Amino acid sequence: MNRCDQAGRLFGAYWDDEVTQAEREWLEAHLAGCPACRQQYEKLARTLETVGSLPRADVAADLPDRALAAARRATAVPDRIAAAPIRPVWIPVTAAAALLLLAASTLLPWIATNIGPGGPGALARRTAPVAEPRLVASAGPAAQDRTGAVHARPTLADSLFDHAEDVEFILDPVVLHRGRAQAPSRLPAGIQGEQAVISF
Amino acid sequence: MPPDRDPLPPPIVSLSDEDLMGRVAEDDERAFTELVRRFQGRVGNLISRVLNDRENTDDLAQEVFVRVFVHRRNYRRGSKFSTWVFTIAANLAKNEIRRRVRRRNWFSLDALTEVLSDSLPQLADPTENRERGLEREQLQGAVGRAIATVPEKYRLALVLRDIEGLAYEEIAEVLGLPGGTVRSRINRARGMLQRKLQPLLQKQDGS
Repeated sequence: MNRCDQAGRLFGAYWDDEVTQAEREWLEAHLAGCPACRQQYEKLARTLETVGSLPRADVAADLPDRALAAARRATAVPDRIAAAPIRPVWIPVTAAAALLLLAASTLLPWIATNIGPGGPGALARRTAPVAEPRLVASAGPAAQDRTGAVHARPTLADSLFDHAEDVEFILDPVVLHRGRAQAPSRLPAGIQGEQAVISF
Repeated sequence: MPPDRDPLPPPIVSLSDEDLMGRVAEDDERAFTELVRRFQGRVGNLISRVLNDRENTDDLAQEVFVRVFVHRRNYRRGSKFSTWVFTIAANLAKNEIRRRVRRRNWFSLDALTEVLSDSLPQLADPTENRERGLEREQLQGAVGRAIATVPEKYRLALVLRDIEGLAYEEIAEVLGLPGGTVRSRINRARGMLQRKLQPLLQKQDGS
């Protein structure tokens, strides 16, 4: 790079007064002895003087008031969510609920009867009335009354339950505490029954 | 003895730009109008010179200040307000240039030819004996149009430096560029402008 190229690279910084003292002294010395570079720099300076002397653009005197009014409008945009029309959603919700109810009323009895716990017929067995305990005639010795008639003596059966029917057992949850089991009753009030305490 | 009273707040015109903007962030409309009053000339001039469009300068300057108000809570306290407002103005000007280029109504590739054909015959015509002021006005118009033909990325840096007089560091902040890139762009813009204006300036010197 020759000296004129180096000088040309400093023209802008020289115009902006952003050169170091050493650069300034070197450039000014070069310009003093180089008419071509001096002319080139004068052209640049003339251009920048012209640009810098352009008149300022006039703006409207009422710009502050206009800007404030526009700023108020810009920040006062209504909430579009609130402005949106509310769609009538009750129709699909009601229709869906009705369909679910219809399906439930149709399917639930069938499921309970055929697929529920215990297999087919379980519900029917569960809902069958439990036979009341009754006295049954024993095959023991007959008693004779005053008239001499012989009657069979009524006796209690081995169990109060009719074993012909299935029996359900309610297993109360067992809570284990350090070495012993506690079984708080969770049976509904009014139901009498024995609790099973199971030790492991 | 009367109770101590809070000292009167300083008059709004005595506040710094940054203090005013702090008040604007708290919805103080008087502070906002004072800031507009202080910066409307510089913002309007920047837009006018970058776009070479004086007719729409008011509307675009107004838009800059509306953005200042709308984004008032994004202003970082302690940062220089002039840098912030020039950043908004420069972005708006860039967007406007691109919008107009898309519409192909402005800044065509023949703009430089138009600049010279508009100005040279009038400036060189010795028979018209125009007033010196009118001649100067024409030159200024031609310079404005020549600036508008400099590519956008160089033009913004040029206007911020040689018309608005911002420091290189501030221009770098406004444009979001490294300082070296800003210097390079300004130098290139000056070179382009010098080549475009040389015929005009030579003619003026010869007249």
